[in-house]
Amino acid sequence: MKKFVSVLLASSLLLLSLAGCKNSSSESKTITVGASATPHAEILKAVKPILAKEGYTLNIKIYDDYVLPNTATEDGELDANYFQHKPYLDSFNEKNNTHLVSVAAIHYEPYGIYAGTSSSLTNVPDGAKIAVPNDPSNEARALQLLAAQKLITIKDGAGLSATKKDISANPHHYDVVEMDAAVIPKSLDSVALAVINGNYAIGAGLKVSQALATEDKNSEAAKTYANIIAVKQGNENKPAIKALVKALQSQEVKDYITKTYDGAVVAVF
Amino acid sequence: MNEYLSSAFSTAMLGEYGNGLLVTLYFVILCTLVSYLIGIPAGVILCVSDKDGIHPNAPLNKTLGLVVNILRSIPFVILLVLVLPLTKALIGTKVGDNAFLVPLIISAAPFVARMVESSLKEVSHGVIEAAQSMGSTNWQIITKVMIPEAKPSLLVGAAISITTILGYTPLATLVGGGGLGAIAVQYGLYRFQNDIMYVSSILMVILVQIMQEVGMKLARSSDKRAR
Repeated sequence: MKKFVSVLLASSLLLLSLAGCKNSSSESKTITVGASATPHAEILKAVKPILAKEGYTLNIKIYDDYVLPNTATEDGELDANYFQHKPYLDSFNEKNNTHLVSVAAIHYEPYGIYAGTSSSLTNVPDGAKIAVPNDPSNEARALQLLAAQKLITIKDGAGLSATKKDISANPHHYDVVEMDAAVIPKSLDSVALAVINGNYAIGAGLKVSQALATEDKNSEAAKTYANIIAVKQGNENKPAIKALVKALQSQEVKDYITKTYDGAVVAVF
Repeated sequence: MNEYLSSAFSTAMLGEYGNGLLVTLYFVILCTLVSYLIGIPAGVILCVSDKDGIHPNAPLNKTLGLVVNILRSIPFVILLVLVLPLTKALIGTKVGDNAFLVPLIISAAPFVARMVESSLKEVSHGVIEAAQSMGSTNWQIITKVMIPEAKPSLLVGAAISITTILGYTPLATLVGGGGLGAIAVQYGLYRFQNDIMYVSSILMVILVQIMQEVGMKLARSSDKRAR
């Protein structure tokens, strides 16, 4: 009995220490990154071989929403994520008490106003519907683009949290419809104009060159809304993370982006 | 606490809740009416053409059953996107409150059909046989025996259907529709304004409670069994 107990104790200690070894990602050569499908996961796929040469295995986990990849990074399930821009990250940290930090800005996706039933910005009938995404930072950015094109005016200071309620002037009485960003490209025949973000425009087969207007490359929007690699505070200097950033901010990736996305995605490094 | 409540109950929000309540009621009432308009005949056919029904018809039963099953298996969000062209054809736009009604009804009608079928199948066979022995036609059996006998069960089914339909209304936000659910999602889920999310959700719960109570009362008063 005594021998049995001591063998049991020894083997469980061994198992526990092995389990402990497995969970320690600081020694791990596997990097797990959560990302949106387009273009983030695609860009990550492009660096897989670069990282493999350094001995790292890159695992890409695709997410459709904008909450889970952050909570998973905070929980340690993911080493990093790549789907959001800094304003969203800051707002998320504040509202959810998470401790995520940006380690690198990779690309930005110009927002565009795409033609629905109106083929130009000047022949939109009064009272026509303009579709904008209904989630916070996307809606704000969409409204700001409409304001930049002088279709509506936004209250001063509404900035990145602008909603429909912050429209201070709408002389043509456009009906601004807040709806799901993914459904907007499918509803172009039901609205005069649609403001669509990069991911979904590419996904729907639209070309940025087709857009009636896009965010200026030198605009505040472009700088602020660069998509970043985010990690949990404290992990910024891990060798795996540094390798990931180096691989992403390379000429290879820049060329990949230019070649693949035809202006819908623009590298910012 | 006061600050928390004051933003959720600001004059601006009160107006939005009021609007939201009206739109939610519009969704629920219209969808329930139309899905019962479709679902009652469908449920009757499913029950009657069943092999144990009063007018067995295997091909009809199997086909209708298949259609109902397929429509019920498709996740609502996918269904919404799939029927966008139909929505456009029926009401001229894919966006707005009415655009949301189309997939809502297409999703609810098969659910209602199954509830009706189930309620009708509960009617005692003895009563149906008695009616048959008195020389009633099938139409008379359906309208004068089965449906009246199944009334309490149909009303319980309606209460269930209404709350299920209500449960889908937050998805109106996908196509720019309104309602209390959309408010909960847009402000609560997307903008982390939990106070607004709780208030609109509580309003929906109250709505459900009222509808359940009314439904159950009607069912009890027409139920000959429980006295």
